[in-house]
Amino acid sequence: MISFFVSVFTFTWLYHHSFWYRSEDADGYKNPDEIAVGVFPKHNDDMRLEVAWTIAPFILIVWLTYVSWVPLDAVWSETGEDGYHGEECEEGQSSNNRLDDYGIVTSECYHVIEITAKQWVWAFDCLDLPTEICDTGSDNIEVYGTVPLLSLKTGETYLANMRSEDVTHAPWFLGMGVKEDTLYGAQIGPSEYNWPTTVWLPISSVVDDQIILCTEYCGDAHSVMAGKLVVHQ
Amino acid sequence: MNKKSMRTLLVLSAIAMALIISPAAVSYPTGIQGVKDSGCNCHGATTSSEVVPSITGLPDQYNYSESYEIVVSFVGGPASPTNSNQGGFNLWVSDGELLPSDATVQSYNPNEVSHTEAGNDQTSWTLTWTSPSSDRNVEFILHTNSVNGNADGANGGSSGDMWNKLTAKVSPPVLVLEEADPFVVLSTLILVSAILLAFTLAYVFYRTNPESFTWDYFAPWIAGWLTTTDHKKVGTLYFVAGLFFLGVGGIMAMMIRIQLAVPGNDFLTQDQYNQFFTLHGTTMIFLAAMPLINGFANWMVPLQIGAPDLALPRLNAMSFWLQPVGALLIFTGVFSGQGADTGWTGYAPYVVSETAHMGTTMWVAGQIMLVASSTLTGINFLTTIAVMRAPGMGWLQMPLFTWSILVANLMLFLSIPAFGIGLIQVYLDRVIGTAFYDVSAGGDPLLWSHLFWYFGHPEVYVVIVPAFGVISEVIATSARRSIFGYRSMVYAMAGIGVVSFIVYGHHMFTSGMSPTLRFVTMLTTMLVAVPTGIKIFNWLKTMHGGSLVYRTHTLWTLGFLVTFTLGGISGMFFPSIAMDLHLHESYFVVAHFHYVLVGGTVFGFYAAIYYWFPKMSGRMLDEKLGVLHFLVGFISYNALFWPMHRLGVWGMARRHHTYFVTTEEAMGALPIEAAGWNMFISVSAFIFFFSNLIMVANMIKTLIRGEKAPPDPWGGWSFEWMTESPPPTPSFDPHNLPVLTDANEHIANEPGTLSKLFNRLMVSEEDTEEVTH
Repeated sequence: MISFFVSVFTFTWLYHHSFWYRSEDADGYKNPDEIAVGVFPKHNDDMRLEVAWTIAPFILIVWLTYVSWVPLDAVWSETGEDGYHGEECEEGQSSNNRLDDYGIVTSECYHVIEITAKQWVWAFDCLDLPTEICDTGSDNIEVYGTVPLLSLKTGETYLANMRSEDVTHAPWFLGMGVKEDTLYGAQIGPSEYNWPTTVWLPISSVVDDQIILCTEYCGDAHSVMAGKLVVHQ
Repeated sequence: MNKKSMRTLLVLSAIAMALIISPAAVSYPTGIQGVKDSGCNCHGATTSSEVVPSITGLPDQYNYSESYEIVVSFVGGPASPTNSNQGGFNLWVSDGELLPSDATVQSYNPNEVSHTEAGNDQTSWTLTWTSPSSDRNVEFILHTNSVNGNADGANGGSSGDMWNKLTAKVSPPVLVLEEADPFVVLSTLILVSAILLAFTLAYVFYRTNPESFTWDYFAPWIAGWLTTTDHKKVGTLYFVAGLFFLGVGGIMAMMIRIQLAVPGNDFLTQDQYNQFFTLHGTTMIFLAAMPLINGFANWMVPLQIGAPDLALPRLNAMSFWLQPVGALLIFTGVFSGQGADTGWTGYAPYVVSETAHMGTTMWVAGQIMLVASSTLTGINFLTTIAVMRAPGMGWLQMPLFTWSILVANLMLFLSIPAFGIGLIQVYLDRVIGTAFYDVSAGGDPLLWSHLFWYFGHPEVYVVIVPAFGVISEVIATSARRSIFGYRSMVYAMAGIGVVSFIVYGHHMFTSGMSPTLRFVTMLTTMLVAVPTGIKIFNWLKTMHGGSLVYRTHTLWTLGFLVTFTLGGISGMFFPSIAMDLHLHESYFVVAHFHYVLVGGTVFGFYAAIYYWFPKMSGRMLDEKLGVLHFLVGFISYNALFWPMHRLGVWGMARRHHTYFVTTEEAMGALPIEAAGWNMFISVSAFIFFFSNLIMVANMIKTLIRGEKAPPDPWGGWSFEWMTESPPPTPSFDPHNLPVLTDANEHIANEPGTLSKLFNRLMVSEEDTEEVTH
């Protein structure tokens, strides 16, 4: 909406001036700025205007930053009480996803899964989760051939720990609009497994079956490194 | 040539030769990596004639959509007195669909099948091929390997492992022409362009003096160009090289668009596509945009500041001649089928991995030369602008194009060393086995991302800021007004330069960055909109009260204002991180940066060409052809890039060699409408590409019989309009330099209330007194 108004304002101004001040030839022009070769012309400025269109965009971007703050917190929510998805679920516990006042999915708890990437295939691991919460397998998508499948339950939230076994990849959950790099070798603290990146997958009622693509260029078969997310009730 | 010069030349030649040949290039048997072309490297690197593969059951000419049962088999292999030969296979077909007939065969995709684990000890396999529904020349590539048959190692075991390759072709019902290899198409087009360029140069030489069109005159003429240190001639060399590579990058873009015109297209293989987009990006940024900037800067900066030449003319010539050598290295890999396939960003660890093509080493070496060239150029322009301004020209009286070159070179000077260091690290990793980016040895791939984007994001502004300078010059001259807010324009450019260094993190939002840093980067990235907004509003206000005379350069400037504004607005979606998570690495990004770099930088260059060509050549360009170029170019450009925003939102990922749409039969990543839009984009791309030939034709026509240009055809004020068209050499008499006067010196200037307030805040009492006196 802001983009639309900025565009309309700018283009109306441009359109108006382009035609209003058009001249077939400049013969009758009075040359108010005394433009002549070898002479630095008279200054054509207005401090009030210049300050106005310095401050106005600044206020606009501060407001935009503020507006973007909430979704920033949502997509990289912390774990624990301060986050949107609480602590890791106990055995048998459900996330009970619901929408808050901002339209953000909040959960009572989350389930942990793992995603491993290597040239040019995804591997999904549900760890110890029961199959009604998370399941994996493979499926044949006509154009991509046989691809790995991740089946997640509506109303549950998942935190995917991700890593790569070779180069950088990035799963793009197309229908959810999220992606994050999987890094090879990046390490945060000493750990048996290095899980340097994570992605939240809150499965709400609007999430449907979707294709997972790789969006960080990884070589020959990058464009067909696909997977499939299936949402079950 | 004296002995000292000869020695120096020999040493330089030896160094250049060493640089070219030192990276060890490993060739695969057929030049291209991948099972389809070179076989599985787990079975050794070379083929063996002992193994004889065969395919039976294939027709000479297929019927549409008919299924054929075919048998692939082999005989021969490593000799063993007690065991028969056994092995596996891989079969690839260019068209139609391969399906396994039993459990010994598995399908990787419709075009490729191989043996299963259970089928890894056979000599023949049965499968089904369904022929295409249209007329295509179909190619089969079969690889079989053979061992001597005893997997447990007894009686000689499977110690011998040999493989061989077989290709077979099946014709369609209606004969069609063979498809040309895309690399052959690219090489042919580059060659044709180079020959046309050579003919054009010869023709220019002929027109210069028809009576002296002989080798005896041509040799010193061409030698004069090759050894020149004159800023105008070096500028022309940059300009010609930049336009040539703009064409080469454009040809690659067209081939990319052919590939993406329809879903699932196979005009380019994945392997070829990866090389094409890598070289397209590298060519456009480093071999087209940068040389074009340097071309205009070489020509105009000394003229605008009233200097006879650049401060360091020989260094200037060296800066230029590093570029063609760098270009040669960058493209070297292509001619061995192993061109760089890393993307212009060359992310680690892929760039140092074994799966990256061998040509990547050459590509890195070439870019190191371009870094050296840019660094030397930066030194030269900063020195020239600092010490060679004409008498009377203070810092805040320089033309805005000169200011833009100053800011761009300062940014480049501060950012490009990081890129150079990164490139040298990658080069050493690839050539002598250091481990800067080798994760298993403790290397850090994210270091490359930091070094690259610390340079890469300012680089975007390095190529756009000179276009700002051009637009400022053209719009003021076209409106016959002084630029509105000269000082705020200078501060805005400097502001963009400063902010550009603290925003690069937005390229790494999805790389595991800490949320706190993400917030800071989000804010700083959005901050770029402030100085950019000032510039756009100042340009618009410059027209206020003016007398806008429409020329071709005016049209391109107004076109720039439209497209750059749209590009700036689409850029505001990325710092908003929740949006970025979806749009990152999608076609929305492709649309955005082409709106900024083509709609901004290239449109700025077009304005500059139409504005300064009369000064450079002494001839007026044809306005009718210019307007035609603008109308066709502007419309086709927007038709080309605007729909890409939509494709990105739908989920079309960049750097994917193909895409699939969802139909009733199959699930794809994109809605079916995406196919139509991609075709529309490809057609628009061709129109845009060919529209630029109108400008080239206009230039050639003008050089031959264009109207002679006066010294100041548009009514500009800066020093370049004081000289003849074209200017003499040296551009100004060193003993009689021009002196700039200032129309503001004797004008009563009563500031308004806010101005007084800001003057009080920003100007000290002493300075005020000094000015008053």
